[in-house]
Amino acid sequence: MRRGFLLAAAAAIALLTACSTPSVPGSTGQGGSQAPATGDRLTIGTTADVVNYNPLVGNSRTDSWVTNLMYPHLTQMDEAGKRIPYLATEWSYSKDGKTATVKLRDDMKWSDGKPVTADDVVFAVTAVQKEKFGVVAGLITAMEKAEAVSPTEVKFTLSRPDGTFLDNVGFWLPIVPKHVFEKAPSVQKFANDANWVSAGPYKLTKVERGQRYIMERVEPFGPGQPTVKEIVFRVFPDVNTEVLALRNGEIDLIGNVLPPSTAADLKNDPKLKLVQVPSLGWAHLQYNTKRKPMDDVRVRQALAHAVDYEAIRNIALKGYAKSANSSVLTPSQPDYADPSVSEYAFDPAKSKQLLQEAGVTNLSLSMIYDQADPNIARWAPMVRDAAKQAGIEIKLQGLERNTYLDKTLKRDFDIYAGSWAIMDNPPANLGLAFKTGGFINYAQVSDPKLDKLIDEGQRALTREEAKAPIQEAAKIIHDQVYDNVLYVETFNIAHSIKWTGFKPMPSELLSIVNPLSLAAVKPAS
Amino acid sequence: MTAVVTDLTPRQRTWTAFRRNPLGLASAAILLALAVIALCAPLIAPFPEGYGEDTFQPPSAEHWFGTDDIGQDVFAQVIWGTRVSMAVGLSASVLAIVIGLVVGICAAYFRRLDTPLGVLVDLSLSLPVLPLMILVAALAGPSVRTLVVVIALFSWPEVARVVRSSAMAIVPMPFVSAAKVIGGSAFWIVRKHLVPGVVPVVGVSVVLTTSRAVLAEAGLSFLGLGDPNSWSWGTILHKAQQSGALASAWWTTLFPSLAILLLVLSTTLLSVAYNDARNHRSAS
Repeated sequence: MRRGFLLAAAAAIALLTACSTPSVPGSTGQGGSQAPATGDRLTIGTTADVVNYNPLVGNSRTDSWVTNLMYPHLTQMDEAGKRIPYLATEWSYSKDGKTATVKLRDDMKWSDGKPVTADDVVFAVTAVQKEKFGVVAGLITAMEKAEAVSPTEVKFTLSRPDGTFLDNVGFWLPIVPKHVFEKAPSVQKFANDANWVSAGPYKLTKVERGQRYIMERVEPFGPGQPTVKEIVFRVFPDVNTEVLALRNGEIDLIGNVLPPSTAADLKNDPKLKLVQVPSLGWAHLQYNTKRKPMDDVRVRQALAHAVDYEAIRNIALKGYAKSANSSVLTPSQPDYADPSVSEYAFDPAKSKQLLQEAGVTNLSLSMIYDQADPNIARWAPMVRDAAKQAGIEIKLQGLERNTYLDKTLKRDFDIYAGSWAIMDNPPANLGLAFKTGGFINYAQVSDPKLDKLIDEGQRALTREEAKAPIQEAAKIIHDQVYDNVLYVETFNIAHSIKWTGFKPMPSELLSIVNPLSLAAVKPAS
Repeated sequence: MTAVVTDLTPRQRTWTAFRRNPLGLASAAILLALAVIALCAPLIAPFPEGYGEDTFQPPSAEHWFGTDDIGQDVFAQVIWGTRVSMAVGLSASVLAIVIGLVVGICAAYFRRLDTPLGVLVDLSLSLPVLPLMILVAALAGPSVRTLVVVIALFSWPEVARVVRSSAMAIVPMPFVSAAKVIGGSAFWIVRKHLVPGVVPVVGVSVVLTTSRAVLAEAGLSFLGLGDPNSWSWGTILHKAQQSGALASAWWTTLFPSLAILLLVLSTTLLSVAYNDARNHRSAS
C-alpha cells in the first residue's frame, strides 16, 4: 500500500510540475473558440476573487476592475494621464485657491432609480474624511468641508491652496449611493456584498466565488452606452492558465499584466493582440537613510553606481521597461519630466572609490522584497550579483507578502526593493513618499529643503506653476539618492483579435479594463 | 520480526538477499551518484549566478539543460540544487528521526507516558501539515535552516508511531524483565535493548523520511518559501513558474522534476528492497 502510494505521489509531482496544465474551472459554453465575437459577452480572465465590494475600501486589482464598472468617479484619465469628464463635466479652483467647485451631469441614475446627485459626492468624500480610510484619506488633508450647492454642483472648502486636490478626488474617489451607505453604522466597515445599488456602465448580477462574476450593461447610460451586453470576469489560478485559456479562445482578454517573458512569447500569436500601456509608477531600491552607513550620501551613491540598470531592463524585463533617468519624474509624466537629469551609470570602480572616500569597508547589507512579485524576484539576484563586483555584499530576503509589508511599515530593512503602482500626481506623491514623516516615506528621508519645495509644488494651482519646485525637489531626490528608480515598466495586456476599440490607459489598475475602454470595445468584424 | 534478533549472522543474510534484487542495487547506485553530485557540485558546474543575454535557450551542447529567463544555465542549477535538496532532506529527516525515536521509545517503555504521548502523536498526525508548514515557513522567513526545522517539526509523528509499535513488541520480552530485575537503569535498558531492537525500522524510516522531506522542501520552495540565496530543485521550479513561460520553456521544469522523481523513486525502491531482504521468509 505504502509503496504504491509513494510511487504515485512521486509520479504525480513530477507530472504536475513538468507539464504545467492545471485543470481550468469548468467552462460551460463560454464563447466557442472559433466563432466570431457577437457583442453579447466579453470574458476577462483574472487571478483573484473580489475580496471587497466596498469601493471606498477595496484596493486589489480585481476589486478595482469590478467596482470601477459599478461606481462612477468624478473624472477619468486619458492615455496621457490627463483628467477628462465622467460624472463631473467641469471643475475649477477659485482665485485664492481655497475653494474648488465641480459641476455634475444630471442624467445618471442609481440602479434603484434614484438620481446621482451632489449629495452622494459630498457623502462619499465626507465619510472618507471622517473615518480616515483608503487611499483618498491621505490625499484630501487640505479639505475643510464639502457641500452641495445644488443637485449638480459641489463646493469644496480648503484650508490651504492645493492644486492637487481636484485631480486626486476626481480620479480616486468612487461615488457611492448615500441612501444605501448611510444606513451602515460605519462606512468603512460596510461590506456591500449583496443587493448592489450602482450607477456605472455595468451592474453586477451574479457572483460565483472562485469561478466568475457576471456584469450586465446598464441601459441607458448617460456618459455613453457600452456595446457589449455582458461582461464576465473569470477566476484562474495563475497567469499560465490564463494564457492557455486565452489561446484556446475560452476568454477574450487577460486583465492581469503579462510577465515580460510571456509577452515576448505571445507577440507572434496571430490570434492575439498585445496592447502596451505605460506604468504610472516605478520600480526602485530604497536605502534606509536612518541606518549606518547609509546615512552617508556617498554610500548611497556607491550603491546606486553598483546596479546594472540596462541589464535589469533588458534581461529581467525583456526590454519592456523604460529608463527614468534615475528620476522620480518618470517619462509617464511628460508635463513634469526633467531631461537634464541622467541615470546613474553602472560603474563598480566608481562605487569602490566612493566607499573608500566614505571610509566604509566590507559593506554587507540585506535587501527585502516580496517573493511573490515575479519581476522583482527575477531582478533581486541581479542586484546582488552586480553589487558583488563593487565589493558590496547584498543578502537577499525574499519574504512572504505580509511579512514584507510589516517590515516595510516598521522601516525594518537596509535596502527595500519594490515598486509603486500609481504615482499619478507628482506634487501629491512626492509629499507622501519623501516629506518628513510621509506615509510611504520608506527611506525615512528628512530634508527641510526638500519639504519646502514639495510644499511649494502642492500649493501651486496649475501644473505650470508646480513644475519648477517639483523638478528641483526631484533633483535633490536624485542627487541624494533618496530613491533609486530602476525603471518604468511597459505593461503588456493581451486580448483576442476578435475584439477592437479598447482604450488603453496607463497603469495596471486601469489598463484596458477601465470603464471607458469596456464601454468602447466592440467585435472586430 | 523477532527472528532477526536470534539469527546468527543477520547482517550477512540481509546483504546476500539484497544483492539478489537488481532494483534495490540500481536504486542504491542512483542515490550514491546523487550524493556524489551533491558533494562534488563545485567540480561539475560553476555556482549559478549572474545573468546573460541568452535567455530561454533550449538544451544544446553548450547548455545541456538549456537556460532560464535571466540566461542562467539550468544544468548548473540542477547540480547545485541537488546539494541543497539532499542536505535539507537528510538533515530534516535526521532531526525528525531523533525526535521520533525519543518520543516513540518513551511511549513504549514508560507506560504512564504512553497515553499522553499517544494523544500528542495522534494530534500531530491529524494536523493539516502543508498549510501549517506554509504558515510557519512564511512567518519565520525563508532560509535553509527554517526549512529543515519546519519539515522536521511536521515529520516526526510518523516515525514516533513506527518506533513505538516495534518497541512495544520488545518491552514484554523476558530479557527486558531480567534486566530490570538485576537493577538496570531505565536509560541502560533503553540503550542496550530497545534501541538496537528498533534500529532496522529506523533504517527504513530514515530513507523514507528523507524522500518525504525532499518532496516537502521542493513543495515549499515551489511556493516561494525557499531560500533565495541558494538553489534547490523546488526553487528552480518556482522561478520557472514565476517566469510565466511554463508552456514554452519545458526544459526549465522537466529536469528538476526528473531529479526529484529519480530521488524519490530510488529511495522508495531502496527501502522496499531492504525491507524484503531483511524479512527472510519472503526473501527466498
